[in-house]
Amino acid sequence: MKLSLLFLLFGFLLVLLQTTFLHLFPLDPVVPDLILVLCVYWGLNHPTVGAVLGSFILGYSVDVFSSPVLGLNAFAMSLVFLAVYLSSRCIWIHNSLLSAGVVFFASWIKGVALIIAWNLFLTGDGPWMGFLKYVFLEALIAAILAPALFSLLRRGQNYLETARMPV
Amino acid sequence: MIAFVRRNQVLLSSFLSVLVSLYILASAARGRLRTDPIGPLLLAVMRPLQIGAQTTVVRLRELPARVGAFRSLVAENEGLRKRVTELEAERNRLLEAEATTRRLQELLQFRSDLPSGSITASVIGSSASTWFHSLLLDKGSRDGIRKGMAVVSPLGVVGQVVAATSRSSKVLLLTDPNSGVDALVQGSRARGIVSGSLDNGPLMKYVKRSEEVKEGDRLVTSGLDGLYPKGLLIGTVTKVNKKSFGLFQYVKVALAVDPSEIEEVLVVPGEKVD
Repeated sequence: MKLSLLFLLFGFLLVLLQTTFLHLFPLDPVVPDLILVLCVYWGLNHPTVGAVLGSFILGYSVDVFSSPVLGLNAFAMSLVFLAVYLSSRCIWIHNSLLSAGVVFFASWIKGVALIIAWNLFLTGDGPWMGFLKYVFLEALIAAILAPALFSLLRRGQNYLETARMPV
Repeated sequence: MIAFVRRNQVLLSSFLSVLVSLYILASAARGRLRTDPIGPLLLAVMRPLQIGAQTTVVRLRELPARVGAFRSLVAENEGLRKRVTELEAERNRLLEAEATTRRLQELLQFRSDLPSGSITASVIGSSASTWFHSLLLDKGSRDGIRKGMAVVSPLGVVGQVVAATSRSSKVLLLTDPNSGVDALVQGSRARGIVSGSLDNGPLMKYVKRSEEVKEGDRLVTSGLDGLYPKGLLIGTVTKVNKKSFGLFQYVKVALAVDPSEIEEVLVVPGEKVD
């Protein structure tokens, strides 16, 4: 539980980064989705009820900061966690390149979930081709950033678990 | 039963999480979600962090220019370089102060042209998502900002407030595909809706084929949507697409205001404010 809380605090830091520092990179309007990478990491390496809640809360936070309607990103992130968790029962990620691949596909799941929710609950005439371009760009950037963030999270998790173990 | 729930607790909680988020989304989209206990709390906690981070971001943006200026001075002798550096720093400070004064004077002048009750606010954050174009302001309901208020700058229309907590508020920019403003072509008085889009940039939609619109025409608010005061500049027409069929022509628009360069805005009460 303590580990999940620390991860969640780290997640809020990522939200802060996404609303401020990441806009320094010349990728406008694409914002690198570090929260998605964290949710994928949770689904693969820390699948607990705390992680489920974390994915929901971080998605909700993105909604609070950015979305015109609450629940859009909470839905997308929850769905990403569920999909990654289900797939983690079948695949075993042992190198960073594979983690980048999983993040790439998870980003597509998030994008498609957003498109469907968008068309169902917001404007009905969503420009699909434009959406696909942004889904691809967002997925590519998230996949490029994933190995570094995975390594950082894995080291943090190992450190905390080692510190917790009795001598 | 308990053993089954324990064994599959992550799976079951994941499904529950998806269902709860769908419920929230459906309720919010239909306007039934009146209370949001987490959002205001989160914004209040993050506000000081965002102000600090945004200040650092602004300084980092200025960093390349400062580094460039410093490199040009290295060639000069040590004493002169020191003197020049001091003068340059002083000059930058004064220029910045002058620019800020000019900007605030323009804002004050502009404010006097607007309906009474307009509120000046600073931008403290940008959108955290690729999909939505929004800004966070440092003022909220405590300062009189309400959902639905128009957000403008001396250059033109910026967007509208979609959520306000006690000390901050969220602005949906005109570049967002979910936003819209009732617009008039200044010359021909042709009417349409200016809205953002992800792939094509801002568009003016629902302009009748018979109406005369040409590149370079200025677009202003009509005031008919009850949100934006009449006559505010929205942007200029960059391209007109009149197909051989259909009721409407599609007009591409270059907005007068670049959202990435806004530092201060005015929040204006409209007729349809909650």
